[in-house]
Amino acid sequence: MSIDRLSPYKTTEKQKSFESDFLKGVEAYEVWDEVEIGVEKACSQPFKVMEEDILAYNLGVMETHPLFIDRDYARTHSPTGSLLPHPLFLVEIAFYCIDQGPTSWIRSPGARNPGQRVELYEHFRPGEVITIHATCCDRWIRRGSHYLQSRLDYRNQDDTLKARWWLTLILPANRKELMQYLDLVPEGVQ
Amino acid sequence: MKTAIRFKDVTLGDRLPPVNVQITQEVIDRNAVGSLDYNPVHTNLAWCRTKSPFGLGKPVSHGMLTMSTMASVVTGWCYESGASIGLLEAKLTKPVPVGDRVTASGEVKELHPLGPGRNQVLVTLEARNGVGELVATGSARVDFPD
Repeated sequence: MSIDRLSPYKTTEKQKSFESDFLKGVEAYEVWDEVEIGVEKACSQPFKVMEEDILAYNLGVMETHPLFIDRDYARTHSPTGSLLPHPLFLVEIAFYCIDQGPTSWIRSPGARNPGQRVELYEHFRPGEVITIHATCCDRWIRRGSHYLQSRLDYRNQDDTLKARWWLTLILPANRKELMQYLDLVPEGVQ
Repeated sequence: MKTAIRFKDVTLGDRLPPVNVQITQEVIDRNAVGSLDYNPVHTNLAWCRTKSPFGLGKPVSHGMLTMSTMASVVTGWCYESGASIGLLEAKLTKPVPVGDRVTASGEVKELHPLGPGRNQVLVTLEARNGVGELVATGSARVDFPD
């Protein structure tokens, strides 16, 4: 069920077209005990960086520096000649590119965020087309919680590595546990 | 115009101006739309009442918003000079429910005078909630152009 009160905040084309109901399609999400470790997978959806995407993200994290939110100021003061993306702009790219494909566990109801590590090599710039390759590199159990970690490599159309996110979440341990975060556990789910 | 701080201006122990965010549902919603992270633990009030893994009965702010606020301590401090974060790490230690407040702050811990275009500063970061409890710790490696 999409949430109507969010609609007024959606200003970009990507925001308007993105499926915002994370409870829809849960059955197909990757789960902790089924994910293949060490296999690199390409996320099928590319992200063409638009200035409106950068601005919308920056406003969403309440960034106030004019380099991030004032187009005119950025044109004359920014090292890229355009709005700078906030350091965590890669979060929006990830959710968009992953969608319901590889690393879809990022959308899991019941997930908890224990902390993250991001490496930023170059600013994302308007006009670039970013693709993500995801490699699930580790899973572990600590104090009864089930952790999963993927390495997300962000490359532009010239194959330049722009950023890397070591994405870690605490997840439901298996599909049955995941489905307990829905209202109904379908028959046959173990 | 903002003041541009240079590597030569930075000293160990410098404290960066803190950033405060009042976590309302509107703030969470705007961040959900901006980041495309619509996990129900942030945006679905009915779901949170019975299903939230935190057992708080109400939405919590995105952990990535806390981390973003920590990053904004650095952007406000040095991005005017062309410096930028090359590495950002955070450990999130406590959920931040709607209605709470986050204050992020930072301190210069290491200077790496590696030469023009390669100088780096390590900033330790933390975020605290409205009653002063630690909700996140972390660090940023900041690359300075000169």
